[in-house]
Amino acid sequence: MRSLLLAAALCSAATFTVAQSGSIDGVPAKAKQYISFVGEPQAVPAGKKSTVDFTFKVSEGYHTNSHTPKSELLIPTNITLKPAQGVTASPAVYPAGTSYSFSFEPNEKLDVYTGTFTIKVPVVAAAGTHTLEGTLHYQACDNAACYPPKTLPVSIAVTAK
Amino acid sequence: MRKVLVLGVMVAGIALMLWAGWHNLRERKLAMQQARDRQVTLIPDKASAEQPEDEIPQMRGKKAPGFTLTTLEGKKVSLADYKGRPVLVNFWATWCGPCKVEMPWFEQFRKQYAGQGFEILGLTDDFDAGKDVISKVAGKTGVTYPILLTDGKVQKLYGGLEVLPMSFYVDRNGVIVEQTAGLGSKDMIEANIKRTIASGATQAGGM
Repeated sequence: MRSLLLAAALCSAATFTVAQSGSIDGVPAKAKQYISFVGEPQAVPAGKKSTVDFTFKVSEGYHTNSHTPKSELLIPTNITLKPAQGVTASPAVYPAGTSYSFSFEPNEKLDVYTGTFTIKVPVVAAAGTHTLEGTLHYQACDNAACYPPKTLPVSIAVTAK
Repeated sequence: MRKVLVLGVMVAGIALMLWAGWHNLRERKLAMQQARDRQVTLIPDKASAEQPEDEIPQMRGKKAPGFTLTTLEGKKVSLADYKGRPVLVNFWATWCGPCKVEMPWFEQFRKQYAGQGFEILGLTDDFDAGKDVISKVAGKTGVTYPILLTDGKVQKLYGGLEVLPMSFYVDRNGVIVEQTAGLGSKDMIEANIKRTIASGATQAGGM
């Protein structure tokens, strides 16, 4: 009976900890980056046109300008890739943003990324495994403040067969 | 048979507690999301909830770091030039929407409290924007107080500026009375200005 009570108490404490910490979804409690790269290794057909997906997650409560913000004053989201031997990459294809307005400027429409977005890079890769490396340049805001432009390193393994 | 029964009760109990914990977390997240969706008020004196205050270096009570910068018109301006006067040092950028919302309020308060020596210095945190663009954007907000071009060093002196807008309310003695990150309400800004003017008033002219 004693062991039963002990087990129940331990379990209860563990459950309480998980519930209070709120970290099971992996969202960083505090981060200097407001976007995380969630790219996974990808396979493409060797020597043929295909695309490599670079997927990003904007932290909850934040938004970042899309690649084509509606004002030239705003800093667009841009990906830059280093040349990789055996891979010919074409200009990236960016997703469309969604419309957003600050509550204090309801008539000013912005074009932003929130949640998850994917940038597609057309490639032709020679047979073998390659690593595509580069950076994502972006500038994020939340509902009352903006954060200086950031550069996020990205790296993805591409296997061409 | 009794052991099996006890084991069964344990498993059921643990499962129930795990479910309750998960359910509790889910409910709290939903409630937080709903609260966030409803949030339209401006954050008074710190950045959003996602940016804990402890991430921002606190400079309240410290001597305001000195600087000498150039205005859009090419004139050298130092913080020391305003010795003995209450000054609002406001960092902003052309790409920062919330910054441009409060700038007209600053202009209004500058005129309102000019008789008490109050002044505002707007420091741009732009790296790429040219002087013309900064001038155009500042002009659009209607501000007439000095807009200073930064050198990258002054941002570091003021804690690195991980959030914009960022304001430092400096009293007559050169001490930072209040520091705010993110867009505050107009009332809060005025309250901070009044507090800055009142702070050190008895020693006015004693610097």
